[in-house]
Amino acid sequence: MKLLVAEDEPKIGTYLQQGLTEAGFNVDRVMTGTDALQHALSEAYDLLILDVMMPGLDGWDVLRMVRAAGKDVPVLFLTARDGVEDRVKGLELGADDYLVKPFAFSELLARVRTLLRRGNSSTTQTIMKIADLEVDLLKRRAVRSGKRIDLTAKEFSLLELLLRRRGEVLPKSLIASQVWDMNFDSDTNVIEVAIRRLRAKIDDDFEPKLIHTARGMGYMLDAPESE
Amino acid sequence: MKHLSLTARMSLMFMLAVIAVLTVAGLSFNELSRHHFRMLDRQTLVEKLESTQKIMSGTRGRADIIKVQPQLNALLGAHEDLAAIILANDGTVLFAEPRPFNVPEKYRLNPDHGMWEWQEGGHMYRGMTAQVIGPDQPEPLTAVLILDVTNHMHFFETLLRWFWIGLIISALISAALGWIVARSGLRPLRQVTQVATLMSARSLKERIPLEPVPLELQQLVTSFNAMLARLDDAFVRLSNFSADIAHELRTPVSNLMTHTEVVLTKKRNIEAYEENLYSNLEDLKRMSRIIDEMLFLAKSDNGLIIPELTRIELSEVVAKLFEYYHLLADECGIHLTVSGSGNVLGDKLMLDRAISNLLSNALRYTPEGKTISVTIRQTGNAVTLTVENPGEAIKPEHLGKLFDRFYRADPARREGNPSNAGLGLAITRSIAEAHQGKIWCTSANGWTAFHLEFPAL
Repeated sequence: MKLLVAEDEPKIGTYLQQGLTEAGFNVDRVMTGTDALQHALSEAYDLLILDVMMPGLDGWDVLRMVRAAGKDVPVLFLTARDGVEDRVKGLELGADDYLVKPFAFSELLARVRTLLRRGNSSTTQTIMKIADLEVDLLKRRAVRSGKRIDLTAKEFSLLELLLRRRGEVLPKSLIASQVWDMNFDSDTNVIEVAIRRLRAKIDDDFEPKLIHTARGMGYMLDAPESE
Repeated sequence: MKHLSLTARMSLMFMLAVIAVLTVAGLSFNELSRHHFRMLDRQTLVEKLESTQKIMSGTRGRADIIKVQPQLNALLGAHEDLAAIILANDGTVLFAEPRPFNVPEKYRLNPDHGMWEWQEGGHMYRGMTAQVIGPDQPEPLTAVLILDVTNHMHFFETLLRWFWIGLIISALISAALGWIVARSGLRPLRQVTQVATLMSARSLKERIPLEPVPLELQQLVTSFNAMLARLDDAFVRLSNFSADIAHELRTPVSNLMTHTEVVLTKKRNIEAYEENLYSNLEDLKRMSRIIDEMLFLAKSDNGLIIPELTRIELSEVVAKLFEYYHLLADECGIHLTVSGSGNVLGDKLMLDRAISNLLSNALRYTPEGKTISVTIRQTGNAVTLTVENPGEAIKPEHLGKLFDRFYRADPARREGNPSNAGLGLAITRSIAEAHQGKIWCTSANGWTAFHLEFPAL
């Protein structure tokens, strides 16, 4: 997967490049809008991450010209300005997502993965397996080591989310938004409680443990052998 | 008139008033005097005419006039401005003393008792004409009496001239007096202005004293003082706000610095660095959240929070939030109940956030095993959502300030919960206000309730 990061602030740019590279992406980094446009038009990227405020061309100009050139690559905007007009403008121009600074890197990574997945049609699998855990998405049933596990509706949704995005660290805000439709930062530890309860049902009596905590960042479902 | 000073305005008006009064008085006096003189003249003429008629009535024809001439002269002699002419019916002048007059025809030949006047050669005359018909008179004779009133006219001209001069002088004097009066009358205003000029952000605590201020200005001063009080309140809140931001951000920043510096003082194993970075991450997240919330509040202060209005059923919002919070409530053995329903026009995300803040706030202060109840009431033109929880009551003096930024009723709790910066209720209030709603808190007898009111659909 090849990404282009256009960010004029050197520190953020460097860390974005490092983080995304370490997450397994092939990352090119440019500092100006002009360079970004040139790269975007001459090479095939899977995703463009554009800062809105850049010297030369700004992010919107780059997006407009990329779209005018007939490129349909997904675009994620980074901006320090959080105005509704800005958001609307970006989305009207054809941006796919929008992230306001300061953001958590885990949040960015989750969004990048969502955007990249959007291209490939999402899995139509109805039965998902990880280690000895088997989840039937249609019948809403989970079985581990042959033992049926009773889950509440929300616990099942949470497990489904973790499964669909296995191997990814999911920030708490993303979990709250996807499972409970809580689209704002809440200062409570509901997600910790939810994860603890899910763990009690699917992990406590079994080995290996599947749900992992990425401290300060979020949670991840993964089996040991795939690490 | 618009740009004149109050003093100039008042002196000018004072002057105009004096001119108007003097003019009316002067003209009335003038008219009255003229009338009085006219009456005197008429009386003189009537008396003399009657005497003349009496004298004449003793004569027999025009030849006899000579006989009564001394009598007539005596009559005229008593009055130097008076002249008499006696005419025969054919116009012959039988008597004209002290000199003949060229009396206009119409007065001469119209003998009635009306008084007439005419001007000739810079003189003004008044006269009266009468016919003398005695029992012994062979033909009617006409007597004309003429009074020279030129002196009266001169008197009136002089009077008028002096009147105008007097008027101008009085106008000037009254303008000057008006200026003095207005200036001294406005002195309290200048004093108030002086005090107001000296006010600055530092002296918002000062008030303009009410005692020396006249009644008319007291209302102004009271309003001004009330404005100062509001400004002072807002200013204090603002200063506290800045101080609080500094404080809230200083704590995590100093944690970050100290911790990082300590870790860097010597070589450590990788776990120690990792631990440091995790701890830093927590502090940074906390700061990031504070910044986000501050940004939201700043935008709300500037009217930039514009709700995307849709029809929202509050009981559904509460049900959804309960689904989220019941996990936490279960942990603490707290029960959640909801009753009632109500529709409002609102921004889904913002209402979620506002009610969520109230719920998480209630969860924080409810003792184990108790119940948090949410009640939705639709009354007339408002929908009220009440989140009520048992727990230590909030002191009345704190109730009004609960919605201030960073305000915590119990300062000791400040450091207690690092994830709660004390902006939640302020944000809830901003959201309520952006929806033309309001929020207030009641607390007594171990129960605390937050009421969120929105206009009904």
